[in-house]
Amino acid sequence: MSTITVLGLVLLLLMALVGGKAGIQSFLALILNFGLLFLAMVLVAFQFPALTVTLVVGLLVLALTIFMSSGDDLSSTVAFIASAIVLVGLILVIVPVEHWAMAQGFGPEDSEDLEGLSVLVGVSFTQVAIATAILSTLGAIAEAAMAIAAGLGEILEQHPQVDTKSLLRDGIDVGKQIIGTTFNTLFFGFFGGFLALFIWFTGVHYSFGEILNDKVFVAEILMILFAMVSVILTVPITTWVMARAVAGQRRHQAAVMTKKDDRK
Amino acid sequence: MLVAWVVVIAIGGLLVWVTQHNARWYHEPIVQVTQVQARPGTTVEDDFHNQDVQTKQVLTARVLNGQYAGKTLTLNNVYSRSKAMDQRYRVDSQLFVTLHHHHGDLSGTVKDLKRDGPLVLMLWVVVGLLLLIMQFSGFMAFLSVALNGVLFLLAIFLNGSTQGARVLWIFGSLAIVFAALTLWLVLGTTRQMLITLMTTLGGTALALLIALLVFHFTHEKGMYYEAMEYVTQLPRPLFLAETLLGSLGAVMDESTDIISSLFALKRERPELSAAQVFKSGRQIGSTIMGSLINVLFFIFVADTFPMGILYLRNGNSWGYTFAMNMSMGVVQSLISGIGIVLAVPLASFLASRLMTKKVTL
Repeated sequence: MSTITVLGLVLLLLMALVGGKAGIQSFLALILNFGLLFLAMVLVAFQFPALTVTLVVGLLVLALTIFMSSGDDLSSTVAFIASAIVLVGLILVIVPVEHWAMAQGFGPEDSEDLEGLSVLVGVSFTQVAIATAILSTLGAIAEAAMAIAAGLGEILEQHPQVDTKSLLRDGIDVGKQIIGTTFNTLFFGFFGGFLALFIWFTGVHYSFGEILNDKVFVAEILMILFAMVSVILTVPITTWVMARAVAGQRRHQAAVMTKKDDRK
Repeated sequence: MLVAWVVVIAIGGLLVWVTQHNARWYHEPIVQVTQVQARPGTTVEDDFHNQDVQTKQVLTARVLNGQYAGKTLTLNNVYSRSKAMDQRYRVDSQLFVTLHHHHGDLSGTVKDLKRDGPLVLMLWVVVGLLLLIMQFSGFMAFLSVALNGVLFLLAIFLNGSTQGARVLWIFGSLAIVFAALTLWLVLGTTRQMLITLMTTLGGTALALLIALLVFHFTHEKGMYYEAMEYVTQLPRPLFLAETLLGSLGAVMDESTDIISSLFALKRERPELSAAQVFKSGRQIGSTIMGSLINVLFFIFVADTFPMGILYLRNGNSWGYTFAMNMSMGVVQSLISGIGIVLAVPLASFLASRLMTKKVTL
């Protein structure tokens, strides 16, 4: 058996032991997410428009991740709507910045990997770079939105009558608790992947100015910064969606109550 | 509040303005494009019937720095529609060039675009939003990332000076320092911090150990070290160091979440037994572990997107494209996933046994 299969089986076993049915479900979500990511790659390679593919696949990934993990209905729905809003907002940030930075495609550092490959393939790599940046943040957006929604859900459970204004403050407070560790997850996750590149830079003696303007370096750093922006934005947006949802529920309840009163 | 936003936006604008006028800070010659003339494009086709359009641009540009500052020259540039390895320059683009001075004639070739503007802008957007929305906590989050970044740089220089012979030792010890520093910044020197640190290091180390065992028994079948990018030293220890660092943050994130919830729980209900605490820890952990594995998975695998598309367009099969681009990222995600899952029982166990003494006092 291949290493990937065995590692996958070990992970499945551990997730089942620790999380039971929910653990197996999370593992399935992971496999499906991989399938979606691969599908996105194939579709873009078949020259479907990269941005549209990314948006559709992104929404599917968010829905899958959020609804397949355990959570109550209200906080899952809120987390999904909020993360979808963040996804759209993120595209509005990424598109102009990527066009300005022109950090798409490959740099001179990639020339060894590109040997024997044709690079004039007719696929817009600017679009591909935008798609890559969006896809790499999907997990972080979903995680942050779920954490904030779950935190607020708990507060609502304990204080069902909390007013909208203090709910907004509570959301930011929950955000403050998670932002430090979430940033570290992103930092280590990305820097773990960039280790080889950074070692390359010191080995080949690039000057500081050369590194700061290097295509590959800028592309990778922009990816971390986009991820961080999206996580920060997730906090107020999730809180706002939750406040709207709660206000809507209360209005609905109030309407039902008055109807009952009328009947009396 | 409005004033704060205005100040942050004004500082951001100023920083971007500076990056557009800092050519003097660079030794390399920089030019600014003043005029662009495009020639008609030609359609090209490669061996795999991929069609692309190549266009030649004649750029008129003004030198911004160095001994030729203020002089004007013309440059040639070719770009393709896909722009994988080339760029389409516009008026006002600032470019690094190599200048040739020949009998009073100034000519040059374009090296690359100057990109510090978007970099500084995005960095400021992150810092600004952190300070505006999260205030002090945002500042601390930024501080911890910045400190870790400095440590990371130092470790890379250390690795360079040892020719990469001890990469795993360097980044292994760095992981311990990273975890200790980060947790100290968040929690201070408390019992909670110690338990979290033990869980983080234990979970990450166990995951690597399991991975090495699996590598041993499967003879690393289906792992392609040659598929790793930018490798300048022995790939296997480098891969392990990458995986170790990559999973550390997520394992730490999870341990912090579980253990702080358990401490809060014990404070509210001190009568809970160790077994009950363990059970709630497992419950908290199993709700967050899936989404954390997901975070790392997308970071590790989405990065291979452009190269994967290039492989597919070059007539490679899906299987080969996966093996040569995504397989190493998937292995990394799986190892990190194992670490993240193992941290759940580890955190619950350590918290349930070790926190009782202090809290019941």
